[in-house]
Amino acid sequence: MRLEIPDLAKWTLAFGTLAFGTLAIGACYRGIDDVPDANGDGLTSGAEGSVTDGPGTSGGDTDGDVPDAALEPAPPTIHRLTQAQLQNTWRAVLGDPLVLPTDLPSDDLLYGFTSIAAAGATVSGLAAEQYENATYAVLDQVWADPVRRAALVGCEPVAVADPCVAAFFADFGKAAWRRPIEPAEIAALLAVTETINADFGNVNEALKYSAASVLQSPNFLFRVELGVEDPAAPGLLRYTGWEMASRLSYLLLAAPPDAELVAAAETDALGSADAIEAHALRLLQDPRARPALVGFFRDFMNIAKLDTLDKSIEQFPQMSATLGTSMRLEIERLFETTTFDASPDGSPDGFGDFRELFTTRETFVNEDLAKVYGIDGIVGPQLRPYTFPEGSQRAGVLTSAGFLAANAHKTQTSPTHRGRFVRIQMLCQDVPPPPEGVDTSLPAPDPNAPPKTLRQRLEVHRQQDACKGCHELMDPIGFAFEGYDAIGAYREVDELGLAIDSTSEIEGTAVASGSEVGAVIAQLPQASECIARRFYEHAGAHVVQPGEEDAVLEVVDEFIASDYDFRSLVVALVVNDGFRYATAEVSP
Amino acid sequence: MSTRRAFLRGLGGVTVGLPIFSYMLNDHGDALAGGSEIPTRFGLWFFGNGVHMGQFTPSVGPDWQPPAEGSLTPLVTLKEYVSVVTGMSVLTPRHPHHSGMSAACSGGPHLKIADVRDTIVSTMKYPSVDQVAAEYFATSSAIPTPYRSLEAAITRFRGTDEGTSFQYLSHNGSLAGETNINPSEESPHAFWDRLFNQGTVEPVLRKARASVLDSVGEQIGQLEGKLGAKDKQRLDQHLTSIRELEARLSAPLADCEPPVDPGEYPDLESNEQIIEKNIAMSDLVVLALACGLTRSFSIQYSTCGSGAVFWMCGAADGHHYLNHTEPNPWTVGAAVARFNMEQLAYFLTKLRDTPEGDGNLLAHSSILCSTEHSEGWTHSQDDMPFLICGHGGGRLRGNVHFRGAGDNTTRPLLTALRGAGLPITEFGYEEGFTNLPITELEV
Repeated sequence: MRLEIPDLAKWTLAFGTLAFGTLAIGACYRGIDDVPDANGDGLTSGAEGSVTDGPGTSGGDTDGDVPDAALEPAPPTIHRLTQAQLQNTWRAVLGDPLVLPTDLPSDDLLYGFTSIAAAGATVSGLAAEQYENATYAVLDQVWADPVRRAALVGCEPVAVADPCVAAFFADFGKAAWRRPIEPAEIAALLAVTETINADFGNVNEALKYSAASVLQSPNFLFRVELGVEDPAAPGLLRYTGWEMASRLSYLLLAAPPDAELVAAAETDALGSADAIEAHALRLLQDPRARPALVGFFRDFMNIAKLDTLDKSIEQFPQMSATLGTSMRLEIERLFETTTFDASPDGSPDGFGDFRELFTTRETFVNEDLAKVYGIDGIVGPQLRPYTFPEGSQRAGVLTSAGFLAANAHKTQTSPTHRGRFVRIQMLCQDVPPPPEGVDTSLPAPDPNAPPKTLRQRLEVHRQQDACKGCHELMDPIGFAFEGYDAIGAYREVDELGLAIDSTSEIEGTAVASGSEVGAVIAQLPQASECIARRFYEHAGAHVVQPGEEDAVLEVVDEFIASDYDFRSLVVALVVNDGFRYATAEVSP
Repeated sequence: MSTRRAFLRGLGGVTVGLPIFSYMLNDHGDALAGGSEIPTRFGLWFFGNGVHMGQFTPSVGPDWQPPAEGSLTPLVTLKEYVSVVTGMSVLTPRHPHHSGMSAACSGGPHLKIADVRDTIVSTMKYPSVDQVAAEYFATSSAIPTPYRSLEAAITRFRGTDEGTSFQYLSHNGSLAGETNINPSEESPHAFWDRLFNQGTVEPVLRKARASVLDSVGEQIGQLEGKLGAKDKQRLDQHLTSIRELEARLSAPLADCEPPVDPGEYPDLESNEQIIEKNIAMSDLVVLALACGLTRSFSIQYSTCGSGAVFWMCGAADGHHYLNHTEPNPWTVGAAVARFNMEQLAYFLTKLRDTPEGDGNLLAHSSILCSTEHSEGWTHSQDDMPFLICGHGGGRLRGNVHFRGAGDNTTRPLLTALRGAGLPITEFGYEEGFTNLPITELEV
């Protein structure tokens, strides 16, 4: 269901006219599908004038193992391994113990996700150096111990022509490149070994460098996905057994395929939804699934940046070098527990329903966080469970210190940022940038007038025609959070001593304060759809294309049918045709 | 004085590897013995969020004078080496910050990475000018420098939400939607460690490492054939990076007197040590240029849309926020603009005070200073400010303020590249194309 993007030229021409306000509402408010105007506020969640197709005309089909004819997934690509994936792959290939290099190319975000950036990233000059240094740093650890080296190589060859050398390349290469090695590739590795051994006269030493060739290869540093033609799905490519093994394993564990997945790949036994589902369920039991899926939520909440939290220590005595990381870990632990440690009795306050993340008073705190939350008697860096009492003004991730602090400035709050985050990242609603030429500075406070709160000063956003279309979407949500300062601490007056007004209206529902926002958001169908959409994007490492909308909605339906169990969302995603198939790219 | 024609004659001719030792020079010290010119350097020095043009714009013409307490006041002692360009307009399709960034650094449009959302995420469609210069130096020198280019950063803030345009400075262009950047090193210690602290590796081991890289290059070639356009471009860059690394292993390193480890600069009382980092990083870049590690560099002083907190100027929050909230007369903003130019002045002064031949490093350099907006609070991309610093080995006059009237922002980029000796009369891409160098700035 392709949404019509309004003609931007027409939009900016209308700037400054009275008509602009009306046009801007349609231009700014862009939902992800056409949901009827359920609350009667006049806004639909689709763009005005958008053309929508009916369901089933573009999407996947997980019932038969034949994709829907209209499915247009993304083309196959190569994915640069993230730092965690790289470290886990070295460990899998070289064994423990292994001191893991950390001076590695950074994991950037693109469209909110590390995986999307990794699907477009390359190897810069600096990155090539970092990979080279890291490669020898790990190999030196194995080669420093002759016993360990012999165990890895499988023998102690005296000549390159020794059959065990070629056997080593076949085994080591398959583990490192996550696929069988071709004879020509083994021949090339033998050749470089000969070249180096001509100088060294020591095959064992030369093999370290051959191994370095394997570990600096694009076949190692990237997950290579090509797909194969499938007669049952013309125009599409099916990811091969080896490719699906890696897709599953790196998504769910941030690690290369284990022995069982390798066995399945060897026998091409990953071609059915059932087989994939069985492995997915198995991998979700692996302890490594927790940090891997937490990684998704870290990107979704954009909280990696909390590690470099920068707040004024003059204004905020709670600030410390470890507070930002504590904030991040709290949010991650909340997600992990909700996802993996469901209350067996299904009690209302039990974990398991993803939407509880928006409303729960249960969280985890340590001494750092206790200072922000105003809790007495918490000592030490360890996170421990804590339940906020009723009336404590804390309920769910939207009143977590981390969300509030990450979306604020060094000293000032930012209602616009907080509101924008909820709209774009949690409800999948677009908010365009300010039109060019508009003076975006807030007017200077009038020295003769009574002082104003930030909320009052920001009212100008919603009085100016040029501003209000978009700011009406963002600011009201942010105003509800004005009861939390820039470090996330609760307050009833601001730094000027003026009373905070946290009342607001969000999607037609009145809220008295920030602690009520989560409940409103959680009930919106857009919120559940958005988390599923974002996971689809994270897993597929691309922004959802128009031809995948129905595939996304299938995943959404499964998520809802599971009573919002995030693990069910994960399984629904990996068996979905949008995850198993690629578009056959037209060669240039 | 040498004319430009004499320098053009050096084009394609042999240039001796750096650094310049006095015995390599001719009797006058203004060229290398044998007639070829002293190698020029090119740099891109970028700061984010623009300025306030009323405070920035100096008097027009030769011998520019800044307004009282104007932004350029810190550069007055260097003005014989500094020309100013204003009145330029971004002619590529406009979007706040994104288009200005690409225009001011690459001479072309930005690339919106995916087309399904209004929220924009972009990269540069074309290479930033430091890479254009790097390519020219690499292909026109008989002995290329060990590093094709070097990328340094001063302030720490990086945007995370809107693509590489907000995180990085040096870009290699995007031919098929890939992101292809050269990350800027923000840690003075790490920069020092990489360039000056690698120690010596036995030749036989260097040779082995080079053989390994050669085999990796072949693997890249094998894989590339199976891939689509976007991934081919990515692997092409990977191959370039591998080859550069291999070449560096196979050639003797430039002979640099290694400096002392500058260390790290953590925040003090939550205040970023911008001045100290600027000194440490500038010193390292100057040394890297002087001892011939590279001829092309970029300094990401602050990012496009930077949220760096200029606490020393009275700011409590990030620069981008300050720009959008401080009303006229922008007292703190004015102090920030002057402060930024002070940091540039430190770097230029260090270059000027580094002798080379009968001149100095600044005399032999052409450095473009740019920003993505003229004025941040309106996101204006008209009347864009630029500086062109250095004499480019005799090509640039310095001390001139050229004021255009809606001219293409690529004009100063073209002029700066010509200032480093690139034999070009046109530059830029799509709507950013120009064939009008600012000859008023040239000798």
